[in-house]
Amino acid sequence: MPKDGGIGSPTLRREDIRFLTGNGKYTDDINIHGQAYAYFVRSDVAHGTINSIDASAAEGMPGVAKVFTAKDFEGVGGVPCGWQVTDRFGEAMQEPKHPVLAEGKVRHVGDPIAVVVADTLEQARDAAEALDIDITELEPVLNMKDALKDGATKVHDDLTSNLCYDWGFVEENREAVDEAIKGAHHVTTLELTNNRLVANPMEPRVAVGDYDSSNDEHTLYTTSQNPHVIRLLMGAFVLGIPEHKLRVVAPDVGGGFGAKIYHYAEEAFCTFAAKALKRPVKWTSSRSEAFMSDAHGRDHVTKIELAMDKDGKFLALRTDTHANMGAYLSTFAPSIPTWLHGTLMAGNYTTPLIYVNVKAVFTNTVPVDAYRGAGRPEATFQLERVVDKAAREMGIDPVELRRRNFITEFPYATPVAVEYDTGDYHATMDKLLELSDHAGFDARAAESKKNGKLRGFGIAHYIEACGIAPSNLVGQLGARAGLYESATVRVNATGSISVMTGSHSHGQGHETSFAQVVSEMIGIDASQIDIVHGDTAKSPMGMGTYGSRSLAVGGSAMVRATEKIINKAKKIAAHLLEAAEGDIELKDGAFTVAGTDKSVAWGDVTLAAYVPHNYPLEDIEPGLEETAFYDPANFTYPSGAYGCEVEVDPETGKVTVLGFTAADDFGNIVNPMIVEGQVHGGLAQGIGQAMIENCAYDDQGQLLSGSYMDYAMPRADDLPMFTVDHSSVTPCTHNPLGVKGCGEAGAIGSPPALVNAVIDALQRGGHDVTHIDMPLSSDRVWAAMNS
Amino acid sequence: MTNVTMTVNGKSVSGNVEGRTLLSSFLRDDLRLTGTHVGCDTSQCGACVVHVDGLSVKACTMLAAEADGAEVKTIEGMANADGSLSVIQQAFQDHHGLQCGFCTPGMVMTAAALLKENPKPSETEVRDYLEGNICRCTGYHNIVKAIMAASGQDVSAIAAE
Amino acid sequence: MELSDSRTIDAPREMVWQALLDKDVLKNAVPGCQEMSGSPEEGFEAVVVQKVGPVKATFKGAVTLEDMNEPESLTISGSGKGGAAGFAKGGAKVRLEDDNGQTVLHYDVEAKVGGKLAQLGSRIIDGFAKKMADQFFTNFQEALEGPAEQEPDAEVADGAETGEKKKGWFRRMVSS
Repeated sequence: MPKDGGIGSPTLRREDIRFLTGNGKYTDDINIHGQAYAYFVRSDVAHGTINSIDASAAEGMPGVAKVFTAKDFEGVGGVPCGWQVTDRFGEAMQEPKHPVLAEGKVRHVGDPIAVVVADTLEQARDAAEALDIDITELEPVLNMKDALKDGATKVHDDLTSNLCYDWGFVEENREAVDEAIKGAHHVTTLELTNNRLVANPMEPRVAVGDYDSSNDEHTLYTTSQNPHVIRLLMGAFVLGIPEHKLRVVAPDVGGGFGAKIYHYAEEAFCTFAAKALKRPVKWTSSRSEAFMSDAHGRDHVTKIELAMDKDGKFLALRTDTHANMGAYLSTFAPSIPTWLHGTLMAGNYTTPLIYVNVKAVFTNTVPVDAYRGAGRPEATFQLERVVDKAAREMGIDPVELRRRNFITEFPYATPVAVEYDTGDYHATMDKLLELSDHAGFDARAAESKKNGKLRGFGIAHYIEACGIAPSNLVGQLGARAGLYESATVRVNATGSISVMTGSHSHGQGHETSFAQVVSEMIGIDASQIDIVHGDTAKSPMGMGTYGSRSLAVGGSAMVRATEKIINKAKKIAAHLLEAAEGDIELKDGAFTVAGTDKSVAWGDVTLAAYVPHNYPLEDIEPGLEETAFYDPANFTYPSGAYGCEVEVDPETGKVTVLGFTAADDFGNIVNPMIVEGQVHGGLAQGIGQAMIENCAYDDQGQLLSGSYMDYAMPRADDLPMFTVDHSSVTPCTHNPLGVKGCGEAGAIGSPPALVNAVIDALQRGGHDVTHIDMPLSSDRVWAAMNS
Repeated sequence: MTNVTMTVNGKSVSGNVEGRTLLSSFLRDDLRLTGTHVGCDTSQCGACVVHVDGLSVKACTMLAAEADGAEVKTIEGMANADGSLSVIQQAFQDHHGLQCGFCTPGMVMTAAALLKENPKPSETEVRDYLEGNICRCTGYHNIVKAIMAASGQDVSAIAAE
Repeated sequence: MELSDSRTIDAPREMVWQALLDKDVLKNAVPGCQEMSGSPEEGFEAVVVQKVGPVKATFKGAVTLEDMNEPESLTISGSGKGGAAGFAKGGAKVRLEDDNGQTVLHYDVEAKVGGKLAQLGSRIIDGFAKKMADQFFTNFQEALEGPAEQEPDAEVADGAETGEKKKGWFRRMVSS
């Protein structure tokens, strides 16, 4: 039993108090005296040439400070891309300029053209109506395959085509994979799409720019998952502001799910305009704007082929994917369909030969980037769907087929460049079958049949690579940044502790779980420990929160810094106790000389550090504050078995999710309550993708699902209660806490489990349906059953 | 501009508003009660739910002028008089019914309205009642559990403990 | 979206053709039209107030007549910008058939919306376009039909911009 408040205890979240009483401080709650309001005027066509912008009437309207257009940003850089992918011929990807405000052309509905800044938001909106913008519409580029045809209209005139890159992985395996597939006993082929999604954190994006002319200092308050990354990208690449003159603050952030990783034009705009106008400038996104300006997710079209021998042993896997980049390259966009997707294609299986081809394509749509899972859901979906289809074609039970191919020996080097350090896939599969009462399924299916319903059960087993990422490795792969994390542990004279982390919590509960770790290590009450995050002026350079990395990477940095603290504190304690440093033990917040009852309390040691009257000044410095940067040696590899039970109404095609079971291996767990919550949220997003969510454009590139009336967000009555388990534990071997990361798992494993369940139900009902593209709306299911 | 006066969380307040000023804007911008959140522009998300004369209302669908003379309660007025969390708020913390906290004020206000109407709701009744409140973090599992627990029901049998 | 329909108008084909080129007929027929100026040759400028689902906007735009093949067929196109609401575009291909002194008017209508109208109103745009087209041709038909013997209303006959026009006003105007 873990000790109360320590590692492993389901400690209640301290941050909840402020959120439950309306005292949270989100970016939109920040109002600076004298601030002006920015209203973005955005393109309502998907593709067009801007002939003229006449702002004269608007600039004369009441309260208007200025109307900004591209010409105000002539001396300013474009919004940068943080990852350069090299194609299979060794060439760098095509990388178009992404201006802060559209220059000459608009390239997607929502592309910002002009910004009106006024004393009030209403005045800015009113003046925007008086802007005269003349645009000649051009043919939009929408379908990825058409976009690559010779003579296709180009999204960017200065690029040679709409192809960002043609990536092959592992290129050397290409021919061997082709050969293996040609000679195989059986090949299962599946063509599918991974539907475009909108992340939709409940808090829309907000940016408040402030400028202090007395010391030439800029401050940006923004809804970000990684304020240091914004400072780096915006300061260095867009506005040319050195780090020491630019502070980025991301206070309470209302969810991110990937969409708040990226540096957006609105952030650069508010920072720039605050200096230009010499007053703070605030922009708050409406939900309508969010739909057409937050980076979207997924949007892959894939063909996958799995070759097997007569016993169902996987011999080779080949995939061919078109990945939509949208109109510009968002911060991490090129890495998602490549390094976060291709490297996962081995899944949990021993497939010896794998070749992944990805063509990334520019279209006149909102840029696409990471959304919860980012590349890994796309990999898992196609793999777990094709394995399920293969099981049917081979006449082997889907559980059995997976088990025959599971990796069982670790470390395991996959043919797609990653090395799994640890795992036990049979254990998670066993757990799933037990918790979902798989044995009782046939009886339940018979019961459904009596009621005229088709019941199905679907399984998916996933692997993810998270705890992103070893810097030297990602550097070789094209990342333009390192992916370490940082922490400063500041012990105050009275013994209380502030931990400044480069990670960022936007719902994950760092303030609670990180404090649990330090509390456990030092043995003082967690209430004495504060976790500080989200302010570049407070925390050392960090890379933020995404890729299920906070505890695995940020937590590890904190552990390393805390170890440094403990080592120094032991030196001080040894001095105070007149003992050898090697004999000092720290337990329950006191330093003891081993084998004696001589001890000194934590608070006495910390006081001595700051009031060093009796202190080994000749050996160590006063004070007790340490910083550590942690760069992981490898990714972490959480895995799990997910099972979904559905009922399909054959009259209407309506799918009801009756139950969902997730059996995960996250390694060691610091706060099981928070972990369960993370899995629940991931499941809801994965089930949402599989059942109802879909970002749709019409044939003119108009965004059709641009509000909560049109984009189906999962609501309480769309979802069942979940069964989640994390009792299968194979600790990560290379980080000090043995943790793996749990933030994305739910969204990775659930879509294939759900689709597999629906296909299972239809097959049991005698319908020869082998695939339906997500979302599995009633009309699609009904059409598949009746085609 | 129109002068409006209302009672918010037991205190009389007044202010000058334009005809088009929404109650949500009046609460957030004029009264600086920023616990009421705005998560959409089509009255779908429910982050802005407050109580007006005892009924739950999306504050983004009501004009400030319409609330003239009304009794308004926001999330800032939900804690007990001594500042401790109310039963519903405490249940949300106890059952991890919130993550990023953005939808939470609306969820708590809606939950309070539900329990007033229906003191012992079933799981289905809770889910149905939450139809107008979107949460992107929790998958609703723990919100449903928290609300049922706040109603005094035993939720220990609900899965995933 | 696209839709096709036809209706029989109790007026000769020449008269129907003339009516299709008439600014006042068009103004009266376009639902929500506040202002209309211009000519068939130069094109018309129009101001239209319409509500599409939750979005109400004033559209400023142009109405053009193209592919004119007197008196058999033409294309009426309109496009309007509604500021923050986005834009709407539509057109009707019209074909006139003589049927014993009456005229059968066939029309194929298509409509497109952009920006916020597409974001919020796309679900209902088909129904909206059908309603607009029905209303347009109903208004148009009413301008041509009706009790011809009634004395022309002076206010209408001189093409005044306001007021509900009575049935058959165009017929009375051209036959007086």
